[in-house]
Amino acid sequence: MNTKAKKDLPLGTTETYSTMHKWLQRALFVCLTCLVIEGAFTLPGIAIWMGWPTLSLQQICSELEKVRYSDDSRECIYPYPLFGPSEGAGQTTAKDVWGIQPKPLYRRIGFRDLVRFRDERLARQAAEKKKQTEAPDDGTQAPVAAPAP
Amino acid sequence: MSGSSTSDQDRKRKRAMIVFQIVIYSWILGTFLVQLYLKSISDW
Amino acid sequence: MTTLTKSAGFGGYDAHQIASQAAQRRADYWMISGTLLMGCAVLGLIGLPLFFRGIWLQSQAAKAGLTMRPTIVTLIGYLVIIDSALNSIGWTLDLFAHHTLINRVLTTGWGAMFDGGYFWHYNELWLGGAGAPGEKAWEISLIPVLFCARMAAAIGLLQMKRWGQQWLIVTCWMGMIVWFGYNTNMTIFADVRYSHITFPVWGWWLYDIWYITPFLSLPYLHTVNREIFSD
Repeated sequence: MNTKAKKDLPLGTTETYSTMHKWLQRALFVCLTCLVIEGAFTLPGIAIWMGWPTLSLQQICSELEKVRYSDDSRECIYPYPLFGPSEGAGQTTAKDVWGIQPKPLYRRIGFRDLVRFRDERLARQAAEKKKQTEAPDDGTQAPVAAPAP
Repeated sequence: MSGSSTSDQDRKRKRAMIVFQIVIYSWILGTFLVQLYLKSISDW
Repeated sequence: MTTLTKSAGFGGYDAHQIASQAAQRRADYWMISGTLLMGCAVLGLIGLPLFFRGIWLQSQAAKAGLTMRPTIVTLIGYLVIIDSALNSIGWTLDLFAHHTLINRVLTTGWGAMFDGGYFWHYNELWLGGAGAPGEKAWEISLIPVLFCARMAAAIGLLQMKRWGQQWLIVTCWMGMIVWFGYNTNMTIFADVRYSHITFPVWGWWLYDIWYITPFLSLPYLHTVNREIFSD
């Protein structure tokens, strides 16, 4: 009986554990394959989700920073000075509900939302600039304060 | 040891292994379910 | 290791051993190359077929009657190395390379999608990198202690050494503590980890559940016939 078992079973596996070992091996194959596929697609996947190639990696970095600290004036400094302080050290703009369980309030980033955030911001800034440059031509009238009470 | 494949010790070890696997997988599943519950009561 | 030896007279045993070792080495070359590529994450799709070719060579040699390492031992050994390598890449980036461009896209991008711990107040701590409660302590303790020890143990296991099996058992139990502790931390600070990210809860689980190697290795390592590992 022993010789038969040894012929059919892999080295080191006794009959008692043969089923368990078979299933463990299958699960290990699944884990390996999933880890590898996931590992291969993580970087390109995140880059595409975040807006590459419409945005360059540095632009993505900047957009992520603007979302993270809820501050449109944030820019991703690259290359970052080697022994400089952490880029976010001392920032005061990030939004949270503070308490024993801090709760972040940044915007959720859906598929290619960073491109949209950027376009919206640029449009907003362009509109503001236009208003500012147009205002002196029209005289002293400030566009926002125009409606009489 | 290799000769006693169906010994009492082996049977006990097998049962211990099965219990062990049930415990660890239920713990993992448990934390997952707790997190799903937390998700359902919050606005994540 | 000698159970499958087909005695072919005086010297037959030696010839069989030599042929087995050569076949094992040939299979291992493919699997090692595959593992090096897979451990780099991005190059994994090139590494996977190389690795599977090694597995196939190994099983063909075993079918031909040579004494080869069992498939499950091979899988556990290499998977532990890949698992540790992938974990270490992410955490080492976060720990030492937190201000590089690639890290600020990859890690914070991943954080914004799967785990807010890697997005929330990122690069604000004096140490840089993730600032989620407890996260840095896990990184600093696990990279040098757990992952280095596990890789060494996995290499010992692949060489069919007794110490490799024993140390892999030890480090897999450590891996169990990591899963329990890390998960509990995440559940307690779930607001930081899951608020306003793209895929709260199920995203992290779908991404990380494949790192469950220690759970699958332990039952095998405890029930395998220890005689196949040599001193």
